[in-house]
Formats: sequence, C-alpha cells, structure tokens
Amino acid sequence: MTSSSVDRSLDDELQGIRQGISEGRFPARAFNDQQIYDLEQERLFSRAWCFLAHESEIPAPGDYVTRYIGNNNIIVARTEHGDISANLNMCRHRGNMLCKSEMGNASHFRCSYHGWTYKNSGELIGVPYMKEGYEGRLKRKDWGLVNVRVDSYAGLVFGCLDPDAPSLEEYLGGFQFYLDFYLKQGGEGSEVHGPPDHWVAETDWKICAENFAGDGYHTPVAHQWGFNLGYFPSSGSTHSQGWAASIPGLGHGIGLGHSPNFPPFGGFPDDLAERMRASFTPEQVEVFSQVRTAVGTVFPNLSFLMQPFSLVPGEPGVRFVTMRLYHPAGPGRMEMYSWCLVPKDASQEYKDEAYRAYTLAFGQAGTFEQDDFENWTKVTRAAGSTMVKNVDFPYIMGMESERDKDFSGPGHVVRPYVNDTNFRNLWSRWADYLVGEV
Amino acid sequence: MSATTTQVDLETRMSLQDFLYREALALDERRFRDWLEYLAADIRYEVPVRVTREALADWELAPTSRIFDDTKATLEVRVQRLETDFAWAEQPPSRTRHFVTNVVVDPGDVENEYLVQSNCFIYRSRGDEPTPSFYSLFRKDTVRRAATPAGWEIARRWAAFDQSLINAHNMSIFI
Repeated sequence: MTSSSVDRSLDDELQGIRQGISEGRFPARAFNDQQIYDLEQERLFSRAWCFLAHESEIPAPGDYVTRYIGNNNIIVARTEHGDISANLNMCRHRGNMLCKSEMGNASHFRCSYHGWTYKNSGELIGVPYMKEGYEGRLKRKDWGLVNVRVDSYAGLVFGCLDPDAPSLEEYLGGFQFYLDFYLKQGGEGSEVHGPPDHWVAETDWKICAENFAGDGYHTPVAHQWGFNLGYFPSSGSTHSQGWAASIPGLGHGIGLGHSPNFPPFGGFPDDLAERMRASFTPEQVEVFSQVRTAVGTVFPNLSFLMQPFSLVPGEPGVRFVTMRLYHPAGPGRMEMYSWCLVPKDASQEYKDEAYRAYTLAFGQAGTFEQDDFENWTKVTRAAGSTMVKNVDFPYIMGMESERDKDFSGPGHVVRPYVNDTNFRNLWSRWADYLVGEV
Repeated sequence: MSATTTQVDLETRMSLQDFLYREALALDERRFRDWLEYLAADIRYEVPVRVTREALADWELAPTSRIFDDTKATLEVRVQRLETDFAWAEQPPSRTRHFVTNVVVDPGDVENEYLVQSNCFIYRSRGDEPTPSFYSLFRKDTVRRAATPAGWEIARRWAAFDQSLINAHNMSIFI
C-alpha cells in the first residue's frame, strides 16, 4: 500500500462507502472512476478467484484459450498429462507476448522475439545459444512462465493471483448448490456450445455483475417488449414472486424467479429432467422445481442465467443457459464474453435449439441483451460526470426482510425475488476487498 | 471457390446489384416491413462468431457460434420488437448507412439461384455521440428469382465481421 495523501483519502472514503452499503446506499461514482478502477486491479482482481475458462473449451491435451485476470493476459492450457495449467502470457526473457491467438492447440509455445520455448505447462525447455551465450549460467527451471494458481468446480476453471487466498471451495462457500443448476444440466453436466461472443462496451463491469446477481426488478420495464409480445411465462403482476439467495460475506448471489403454474423443470426434455432429478440432492430438486428463471453472479465478475424461452412467443420453448464474464478494460469500459452452456447428454437437436434461443435472447444481438447494454452504457456515462461525485443510489429494498426459514437452499434467502439484499452483500464484499480487508 | 471469370450475364448482375442496394436502402430508411419482403420465407440469416487464431488454424469463423442465427420467423420477431415502444436499444434509433461494394455474382447450386458475394461497410451513429461506429463485413448471400415486386428474394444471408472483438455495445441493427 502507498501512503500518499490521495490514497489515504480514498481509503477513508471507502470506509464510508462500506458503512453506507450496510445502511442501503452505494455511490454512483463507483461505476465509472479511474481511482476505483485502479484499486480494483490492485486489491480485488489480484486476490479473488477469477473465472478463466470452461473445461469443455479445452477438452484435449494441447488445447488452450487466452483470457484475463484483471489486466493480466493468461494462457489456460490442457497439458499433455490432461491437467489444466494457467500462466502469464509473457516470455520470461524480454516480456514478449507468447501466444497471440484466443484459442488453439499447441504442445509448446515459442517466443517470436528470441526463441525461448516453453511447454504448455509453462516449463522452459528451449533457449537458443544456451552454451555459447549463457555459458552455463542460466538454469532453465528458474525461468519458466509466471504460473497462476488454478482450481475448478464442475467444469469452471478459476485462477487466483494470491497464493495465500483460501481454497476455491471455501471461496464459493456453498454457492455450488445453486451453480449446479447451470453446470450439471442433464446427467453428464454442461458444455459450451462453442466459443463465446466477445464484444466491448462502454459499461462498467459492476453494473452487469449486480444485474445478474438477481435484478428481477428491471425485467418488466427494461424488457417490457418481451412481456408485450407474450414472451414471458410470468406476467407483470406475478413477476416479483420468487427468492433472492446470497452467501453472506462472500458476495455471491442469485435471483430465483417463480411463476405459479410453470411446470417443474419446464423446458427441459423429459429424459434430461429425469436425470437431473436423480443426480441433484433432494433439496436441490425441491428448490429447482419451483424456479422459472435463475440469474446469479459468482463474485466478482462471472454470471449465469437460465431461462425458458421460445423462438416465437407463446410456444413451450427450451431452457437455455448463458454464462458471461465481464472483463474490466478501463473505468467504465469492459469486454464481454458470453457463452451458451448446453447439456452434454442432450440430442444435437436440443442443443442447437437451446443455442438459437440464446442467440435470439442474449448474446450480442440478443433482443434482451440489446436493451440491457443500452441502459448500462447510459448508467456508466452518467456515473462519470462531476456532479455525481457525492451522489448515492438507494439499496434499501428488503432491508427489513426476514430470512425465509422454510427454503431448502443455503445462504441468506429472502422473498420476494425483487430485492436489493443480494446487491448489499455483493457490494459489501467488494468494499472488503477495496479497503484491503480480505 | 469463386470462379475467376464472370459466368453470369450483365443484365442479371446489374439486377442483383440493384436488388442489394434497394435492400440496404430499406434497412437504412428503417422500413423493416419492406425489408422483410426482400427475404425468402425459408431464409437462413447467419452471422458467425470470429475468433483470433493462428494463420494455419482449421477455422477462424466458429463452426457452431453465431451472433445472429435467424429464420424468417425470428427476424419477424425482431422487427415486431422494434415496432413496440419498448425496444430501448433503438430509442433513439441508430442511424445506419450500409455501403455495399465489390459485388461478385456466380451461378448458385440450383437453377434460378445465385451466389452473391459482397463487402458491406456499415456506418452507425447513435444519439448525440460524435463518434460513429464502423463495421466491416464480408457477405455471401444466396439470392433466388422470385415472383415478388423486386424479382428476387434472399434465400440465405451469411455475413462475417472482420473483427473478432466487436466494437459495439449491442447489435440492434441488421447486417
């Protein structure tokens, strides 16, 4: 930590922000501010478990993708032994970018500058003019790629830049119960349908993280056209029904929308639904049977949505799942990665139908996604203006809500679905990191 | 692989080129109902996801990922959506200009169909933003003779962005 007066005043301010969150306030400027962005890089993304890839993106030895943790470009590769290794995409000799493509298959990477060569696990194996130039003074084992700690849950590969951070299991802290809905579709789990949509937006990553932590409140207005054309199994009058579940102190949260009369596991083919009933715990079956929409965020910047959707309004439709990563690319600027997850053991026909539902609803040209990003870029723009420096937003929905003790899922669970409880939890975890108390 | 010489008569080529220009005009004038008239009932409308790969990789355009993967029915839904008061992405509307150039016409796989390749450069201006967005795409359309006022209909539109990381907060316009 530096001790400059500017930083001290920001630290003081963050203590005030943290206090405000517990009282139901959050500052608008957080959504577009250089100092806060810098601090997020330094104190949040360098310590939290951050999503890197889904295992199905790199199924075979040598498969790799390049992704980011904070502003660090990372190669995530399946090694010749079948395990997953993540390393900074930078040659240890003079710092050139080693791998310039987003995905591919390679047993090793050779730097295009001086030719240092590494196994995809990061081990340095080749140095030109080793004898003539280094005269035996260079030990290859000392100069492997900068390694990133990885761990995975149900196909999700995470990386963490902090060697002292607790385990991924502890970090997720019970949220796995809900993540299983997205990750364990059918009897064999989920896989990506293909590479993600990838686009830039003048939007702060936190706006997306909050929205997907269970913002049932925006749906009837931001996506009013969908209700208008008869796209939703819920109506404006029943839409608020459901639950908001969060893992206290860890930031993760999920909104579970409920529609009366919506069939349990509706939208899944019967055989897949049967396999899920068999593989989920009784508590998961009980919760999931009541859920129409499940929209959740793994702190800090990974989200999921499961939603029944038909290509043409009024038809039964399918359940599609989208997974999205909000890569912060500057204050008020982000790169969006958006995947569709399909059940591995579904027919190709079902997978393709679920994917088409995804593209029509979400993804860059998705009819719901379009309106979200229009709103979010406008929020971001306003948050960067000078008058906003001392403006807070209200986060007081559900301040008095009693915990729903009859609910079978873990965490702090409240009703209705329209609620700020998940967001207070999300922002207080964010503040914990930013004040340096994680 | 495109033929290296022209196999289609001048009149047909001119007619197809004129058809694409009129189609683009319908989009840029936001006459979306008119635009739908240019599309065949069995149209497949596809925009694949591009991925940055090494030069020798099998593919750069993802075989299974699509930005758009539409039929006539879903394109009608998109138009119907734009006709509601709640399509916020297009409130206020994008001002677009489709520049269609380098039109190359070849005979199609079946009689009365032509493979029409073109470059499409789209200018998009939003609200009071002084900086417009530009998108460059390569299009491979299949266009069929039809008993419609235009004399043609698009049986397949396939268009690929020349960017892998796309500089648009959303894609609420048509290609």
